[in-house]
Amino acid sequence: MGLTRTHPLHLILGLSVWAVWFVVLYGGLSVACKLAPPDPAAGALSWINMLLLPLTLVVVALLAWAARWCWQGHADSDSLKRFMARSAACLYLLSALATLAVAMPILFLPPCI
Amino acid sequence: MSEQQDNAQLHAQFDRVWGNLPGIGALAAVNHTSVGLRFIVTGLFFFLVGGLLAMLLRTQLALPEQSIIGADLYSQLFTMHGTLMMFLFAIPILEGVAMYLVPKMIGARDLAFPRLGAMGYFCYLFGGLIILSSLLLNIAPDSGWFMYTPLSSSTFSPGPGSDFWLLGITFVEISSMTGAIELIVSILRTRANGMSLRQMPLFCWYILAMALMIVFGFPPLILASILLELERAAGMVFFEVAGGGDPLLWQHLFWLFGHPEVYIIFLPAAGIVSTLIPVFARRPIVGYRWIVLAVIVMGFISFGLWVHHMFTVGIPQLAQAFFSMASMLVAIPTTIQVFAWLATLWTGRVVWNLPMLWILGFLIIFVAGGLTGVMLALVPFNWQVHDTHFVVAHLHYVLVGGMLFPLIAGLYYWLPHVSGRMPSNVLGAWAFWLVFIGFNVTFLLMHLTGLLGMPRRVYTYEAGLGWDWLNLLSTIGGFIMAIGIAMFLLDIGMHFRFGRRAPRNPWAADTLEWAVAMPVTTYNFISLPTIRSRHPLWDNPQLPDEIERGEHSLATIHHGLRETWGSDAVSGRLRERVHLPSNSWIPLQAGLALTVVCLGLLLKSYWLALAAVLVSTVIMLRWSWHNGGHPRAAPLRADDPCDPPLHSRTLDGPGRWGMLLTLMANGSLYASLLFGWFYLWTAAPQWQAPEQGPLDVPLLLASGLGLSLAVALYHWLNRQLQRGSTSQLAGGLWLVALLGVVHVLLLVWVLLLAELSPTGSAYDAVLTVMLCYLLFHGALAALLSAMQAVRVQRGYVSVRLPYEPQVLQPFWSYTLGVFWLGFAAFILLPMAW
Repeated sequence: MGLTRTHPLHLILGLSVWAVWFVVLYGGLSVACKLAPPDPAAGALSWINMLLLPLTLVVVALLAWAARWCWQGHADSDSLKRFMARSAACLYLLSALATLAVAMPILFLPPCI
Repeated sequence: MSEQQDNAQLHAQFDRVWGNLPGIGALAAVNHTSVGLRFIVTGLFFFLVGGLLAMLLRTQLALPEQSIIGADLYSQLFTMHGTLMMFLFAIPILEGVAMYLVPKMIGARDLAFPRLGAMGYFCYLFGGLIILSSLLLNIAPDSGWFMYTPLSSSTFSPGPGSDFWLLGITFVEISSMTGAIELIVSILRTRANGMSLRQMPLFCWYILAMALMIVFGFPPLILASILLELERAAGMVFFEVAGGGDPLLWQHLFWLFGHPEVYIIFLPAAGIVSTLIPVFARRPIVGYRWIVLAVIVMGFISFGLWVHHMFTVGIPQLAQAFFSMASMLVAIPTTIQVFAWLATLWTGRVVWNLPMLWILGFLIIFVAGGLTGVMLALVPFNWQVHDTHFVVAHLHYVLVGGMLFPLIAGLYYWLPHVSGRMPSNVLGAWAFWLVFIGFNVTFLLMHLTGLLGMPRRVYTYEAGLGWDWLNLLSTIGGFIMAIGIAMFLLDIGMHFRFGRRAPRNPWAADTLEWAVAMPVTTYNFISLPTIRSRHPLWDNPQLPDEIERGEHSLATIHHGLRETWGSDAVSGRLRERVHLPSNSWIPLQAGLALTVVCLGLLLKSYWLALAAVLVSTVIMLRWSWHNGGHPRAAPLRADDPCDPPLHSRTLDGPGRWGMLLTLMANGSLYASLLFGWFYLWTAAPQWQAPEQGPLDVPLLLASGLGLSLAVALYHWLNRQLQRGSTSQLAGGLWLVALLGVVHVLLLVWVLLLAELSPTGSAYDAVLTVMLCYLLFHGALAALLSAMQAVRVQRGYVSVRLPYEPQVLQPFWSYTLGVFWLGFAAFILLPMAW
């Protein structure tokens, strides 16, 4: 059985991606600050912020795409499959929004102070 | 008349097969109703003790500069209050409620692993009593319920208090973990025929999320407790700065568990709310899918908040902002649920009954606690009130509001189930108002005490700081609340004698647990219905009678076996007949043997502990021996059912799911160990790693090769078995076990050659733990494979009984995975650095 649009794994996949991204964000920041802390004067325009931001956008794009993909699959299905596909799509979308929300401080704060 | 007699005979037959043994034999009971009720009653006992401690604390704080209780005892009391309430009351009682209810809600006769639940109960009871005994001996832990190092380390806590906590809590956590695993498997694999995820009661969604959170959230604390105990007892270095450790590692590991813990407690309580509100609003819940989504989102996001307990330890602002955002974010799924509940009440015809009163109290108090939670998520505010009574007030609003009120609502709601009687509206309402008013007098004012600067965990305070009258009122409120709780207990006590007889389904509920007889039987349902609706009792009010008359499926006893349906995890379609174990003394024996292990470690009688470990191992292997095709379980018979088959005749029964979940928990523990390794490596102030790694790499590679060969051979044998060939199975399994032994011996050699000094450096200490972890898995996999080989020779595993090797296979794969992952993290990565 492949990973169809109605597979139950989709109920946890989006938020798992969010969790991994969150660990990379926090862990990456900590390690980067330890190894090569940028000049505090650079503020939010440091190399760390510039690295974390596109990473975040890639994750958001991936999650948004997955949400759309799951949503498209529900039209001609039975009620259970429709339930699974719609729920999965919503969860991918919520994961994308959670990623965006948590990442917002990257735009404003210097990384290592 | 004869139909009635047949029916009575059928019930008598079910009673014989499913009933508990008489007298002392009740200790061998494994059925979920008995075990669940035991959890609930024991949980209430620990709640009362914890509450008593709270009253002592409040008495001491009632007036300034009092010395009713000295500083040392005060520290023991607040530590034990938190520990009892979190570990011995909240989690076990909610798991007990879930264990009691879940099978009845999903139309099953029992949980998937009855003996596991029974053993979990004994671990909980004995572990709880061990922890409690420390208080009676005046040597209780006194470093706070979160046991921060270095305060809890041997330097600053040389007595046995911390050991009681670390060993006792780890022991009790066995029960949380076993409960979680059996709840997940039961919810996913033993639902009534046709009950798809879409039709599953919301309570089960909540319990599923809670149990999965336990599986992933508890292992970080279990690991941290093991490491701290190793540091205290054996002098190994993990949290001591001098040897390259870091006390902040404890805080990370603790809160990686500790914050999800709050949601682990809240979710089942919210599940009770989501079950009760539609019943009393007389309409289906508004936004079923939104609630499901909110529960899943909460389950994940709540793992991303742990650092908000550590905002003052010196973490970069940007990192704090991530956790601050996540902490605010988690309020959104909570809010979705609150609005769904309000919308259901708004659009329904609400019947204001006693349970609804407690739900109302929940809504008010919990929402207030949630709002102060959002305040605490803001870093500057958090700094201001850190370690003050504001935080104490917030956490009690969330936990008492979010857990105790719904729990009491649920106890009143399901009480007729157990007693066959209705609760009293008068005493129950008095209890509610006293608890509600007392609670708010205590804790609403405590916010102000905290804002005025009163710190937590101080045994007294000077007069004239503006805290005097607030503390006095908080104490008075505390006693009002205590009177309310006493009234609740009085009400429950009188209820069993004087309560009015309850009719069947007295609240006109929609869920299946009200289709059972009252008081409930041990087998729940004499026949198992097919379910196609979220509201089976609203759609078919005759269903309880139909079930009772045996008109639905599986209304027969097959060779004296306890059986229930096994179904597909998503669609709920019928897949197999799950045969369940009957009454057994093994859970009690295992619980007692593990208690001796715990006591041996506490008393530092390591030979006794080792002997008890060996006895426990023998008991558990005997337990696993009485499974599948064994004559005491379900031996092969000519008339074995085929459609659907018994689960032990398939390739994918509940046991395999249990194994996978156990490995997930195990993986979480392993990931925590890897986190500890990387954390110390990058953050410990005095971390020192040798230039040349101490392990013999070629020997380690040879050990890994032996393991890889064993796993490859095991997979091949399993494929052959699935294709119907067993000619080489027994010999092959012996070879697998032998390869496993070679792997273990080589690993032991690596360990001996390395001459590690775990008491001198954190580097060596972590490496030692990692190698021991790998050794344990290799040895266990080899032992279990040897057992499988013997079982093949005895005929308990064969082409018709191919199940057990499928259960063991993921364990071998896991052992292989952690070995090579460990090799990459501990050998390759430092080389490449």
